[in-house]
Amino acid sequence: MVISEEARAAIDGEIARYPRKRGALLPALHLVQKELGHLSPEATREVAEIFELRPVEVMEVISFYNMFHARAGGRHHVYVCTNLPCSLRGARGLLKSLEAHLGIEAGETTSDGRITLDHEECLGACGYAPMLRVDETYHEDLDEARAKEILDALE
Amino acid sequence: MAKITVDGTEYETQEGRTILQALDELGILMNGVDIPHYCWHPKLSIDGSCRLCQVEIEGVPKLQIACNTPIKDGMEIRTQTAPVKEAREGVMELLLVNHPLDCPICDQAGECKLQDYAFEYGVEHSRSREPRRAGKKNVDFGPTITFDQERCILCRRCVRFCREVPGTGEIGVFGRGDHSALETFPGLELDNPYSMNVADICPVGALTTKDFRFKIRVWFLEDVPGICTGCSKGCNVWLGTANNKVYRYVPRRNDAVNETWVCDDGRMSYRHIGSADRLDRAMVRGELGVLEVTSVDDAVAAASERLRALVDAKGPGVVGAVASGHGTNEDLEAFVRLLDGLGVENRGLATVQGESDELLVQAEKAANGEGARKLGFGDAAGVLDRLNTGGLEALVVMGHDLLDAQHLGGIEGLERLDTLIVLDSHHSALERVAHVVLPARHAAEKAGHFTNHEGIVQAVAPAVEPAGEAVPEAEAFDRLAAALGVAGEDAA
Amino acid sequence: MLTVPHTTNYLTEHFGDDAFTTLEGYRARGGYEAAKKAISEMSPADVIELVKDSGLQGRGGAGFSAGMKWSFMPTDGDQPSYLVCNADESEPGSYKDRILLERGGHQMLEGILIAAWATQADTTFIYVRGEYAFPADQLDRCVREAYDAGLLGENIFGKGFKHDVVVHRGAGAYICGEETGLLESLEGKKGQPRKKPPFPAQFGAFGMPTTVNNVETFSHVPHIVKNGADWFKGFGTEKSPGTMIFGVSGHVVRPGLYELPMGTPLDEIVFEHAQGVPEGRKVKGVIPGGMSMPILPAGMLDVPMANESLRERKTMLGTGGVMVMDERTCMVRAACVITYFFRDESCGQCTQCREGTGWLNKIVERIERGAGSEGDIELLLDVCGKMEAKTICAFADAAAWPVQGLLRHFREDFEEHVRQKKCPFPESFEL
Repeated sequence: MVISEEARAAIDGEIARYPRKRGALLPALHLVQKELGHLSPEATREVAEIFELRPVEVMEVISFYNMFHARAGGRHHVYVCTNLPCSLRGARGLLKSLEAHLGIEAGETTSDGRITLDHEECLGACGYAPMLRVDETYHEDLDEARAKEILDALE
Repeated sequence: MAKITVDGTEYETQEGRTILQALDELGILMNGVDIPHYCWHPKLSIDGSCRLCQVEIEGVPKLQIACNTPIKDGMEIRTQTAPVKEAREGVMELLLVNHPLDCPICDQAGECKLQDYAFEYGVEHSRSREPRRAGKKNVDFGPTITFDQERCILCRRCVRFCREVPGTGEIGVFGRGDHSALETFPGLELDNPYSMNVADICPVGALTTKDFRFKIRVWFLEDVPGICTGCSKGCNVWLGTANNKVYRYVPRRNDAVNETWVCDDGRMSYRHIGSADRLDRAMVRGELGVLEVTSVDDAVAAASERLRALVDAKGPGVVGAVASGHGTNEDLEAFVRLLDGLGVENRGLATVQGESDELLVQAEKAANGEGARKLGFGDAAGVLDRLNTGGLEALVVMGHDLLDAQHLGGIEGLERLDTLIVLDSHHSALERVAHVVLPARHAAEKAGHFTNHEGIVQAVAPAVEPAGEAVPEAEAFDRLAAALGVAGEDAA
Repeated sequence: MLTVPHTTNYLTEHFGDDAFTTLEGYRARGGYEAAKKAISEMSPADVIELVKDSGLQGRGGAGFSAGMKWSFMPTDGDQPSYLVCNADESEPGSYKDRILLERGGHQMLEGILIAAWATQADTTFIYVRGEYAFPADQLDRCVREAYDAGLLGENIFGKGFKHDVVVHRGAGAYICGEETGLLESLEGKKGQPRKKPPFPAQFGAFGMPTTVNNVETFSHVPHIVKNGADWFKGFGTEKSPGTMIFGVSGHVVRPGLYELPMGTPLDEIVFEHAQGVPEGRKVKGVIPGGMSMPILPAGMLDVPMANESLRERKTMLGTGGVMVMDERTCMVRAACVITYFFRDESCGQCTQCREGTGWLNKIVERIERGAGSEGDIELLLDVCGKMEAKTICAFADAAAWPVQGLLRHFREDFEEHVRQKKCPFPESFEL
């Protein structure tokens, strides 16, 4: 078993909140990903078992949503919104400078496994562009210097 | 009942159907009323995503998809108007934006709905000059199916099939948008008793069976209607024939029997038709004690002599008969005539019982066990008891199911017989002890009828020439009866 | 986290006050009085009538009458019925729901409670977009507080009314903002919109009758119950009453949120409230209602921000996300960003959408690279036509409209790319 007892109990708690078990699938995947970092085939199989689904059905769901990762990434996920409101305010330039700063391209992970950098579609911070989402936290109204500081501070 | 008008013609249909369902039920869909469609399939749930079946409905401003729009009494449907045609052209062109157009090397060419519809309703190619989406080629989906992602139009028929028909659900669509693709879960390949049906329902060349792949271009095939003889279901199939050879079975729709499906085992049973172990010459055991090839006439004469001598000497009580569920009703009737003529009462039926499922597969692995039972052939156990207790000196056997562990389990006991006459389409161990062997035709080589497990009688007609000198069992029995002088007046 | 809107009105007037985010602070400002009034003094039908009468339009993009929507819910039958709060705010240019969740959680919950009474719904599922972790946490806290105070759960206000609220987090898919895509996602599936029929009012979340409303729509409701329909109609235009929170982004001096009456002229929002383009540059075009809505050129900004007037200019109010582009902006680059987004976010079910979004994106990217040719513009328009009004949901339309808008008003940008075989706007935002 790759899913811990605690996560398993939390999933059961989620299931209790929905009229049908499957309603808790997205919350469960969030929980498992939080614990394991990504949703491996083994974890997917275990989730499928909990929800009495076929692994392929769970995999379909995982692959549909941006926030679920079937493959392992860095310890931190850093996203630069490059949708139009952010692009109008220099987000693409910011992304390029962060790529150079980390020595990776968008979609890649630093060799020390610290950061996975990627671009993202609109994150709802259009008035505070450009912005970064670092894991669950938004950083807004950024310039290159501030963005680099934020990345450098990540463990 | 509801009255609907389609392109000016009025039809009566049941309530509670969608437009496509109603037209399908009336037998006029793509057979008088052309509403092309990809994702809709009469035996699967409605998907509504390919958007090709859009039609105009009086009083509704937007085009509606015929697959999901419930009919209403008085509904007026138009299927050939300019907006409808334009919408179809739009779908066709968009489907071709990323299609590899590799028809020259695609196995589906000739029976491809993308090809057909593009020609019929669309544009021959897309105006797109953009690089096409690259997809995985020759993906091994499991033991029976190969997947070509580039050709897939994401109609999801296969996905629904696996979930809804065999209930195994191996295939999913991963990702979204124009980067979505069919996949199986790592380690859980497409492997179920009905897996090959996905190739039939795939409208394009994305899913093909490994068995048929690259064997022959489909336009060289002649499709002959026939019956699968793998079990007592009697699934309706098309026999794809060319060069006097059967290249494949594909299911033929019969809602009363097999809907639109056939199981993989049944489908693959076409290979028995022209297989290397076909018994295609008559043989008679000669003075040296070995079977020697001879003509059917000589073999019939030899069989007749042996039976006549025995019956004259000891009466018909020492003769037994084992019918097969592989013969047609006509074959079995001729067998009955022969046995009645000789006065043989030790009759039985030997079929093999195997696995069954809820869907199509029946336990009895013969197409016509029911036909044989209806003609009075009971279980072969009685005949075999008599054999084992030494009460039989001659046996006339159709086929070789008798050798199965459920009956004799081998030839032991048969070697004691004075006379063993075998009619069979394939070689078997029976030949080691048989005195006369007559080559019989496969169901694909003769005309006749089979009675399925529910009593439904279905006709077959010859699809290919017989193997060698194989004769229909009916003919062999009738000739034997004539030689024995027991043929009734109405026998051929 | 977020700054307070630059201009406020009844929805956001207390958003600067941290106490307002707590139950105690909210109640001190008269919070939950409207819900108490509705549940204690009004019948469900009265509430629906009131909301209908107020003319409140859904603020999630489609602008349909909220009261009408509620009235579609069956009132008979034993099966449970549900409300869904659409907090899957993902329309580029739109970020108003986020602040309504972060700073006005109780206000929205009160609106939900009133709507639940009106529709006699059993449970409300609040579908918060997955990336909104902080807003979802704030909302979770508000829900807990409401339960602890007996404002949710059994026997609310001692009137025997029971209602539950479940905060549900999405996982990153724009299409889950579409009401049936959201329902699928809520049920733990891919967020692929459902074909209709059946409609959500009959067969919605978990197969039960369901009404879906946007965060802002719910947030207006307590104010309507408290102050009456006439008061509400005192804001905005005759056909589009109330205020709306406009989110201004792009090339303006003061981007941010502005709560203003519906019908406030677009040029007033851009030039007065957001203080125009920095460094004295001119406006080239403005997307008035989130990225799905067709752009307006600088000369067409004297338009009231309401559907009835925007429609005359072939665009719509959408979510009120106002995106400003200055004179340096390359509209082909804008098209690249826009079409990429729709290509990435298409759920992939319908042929026209799946293939059309990708095709549009490939064509505009090629034009931007300088590899465009004559006929490409007609081709773009033709592909848009093939996508419009032919799919399960309105996503394909939403992907086609902005391209049509750009070609309607900035066709010469595209033609110039084709003529010069390169992008003629070196000063434009970087791609």
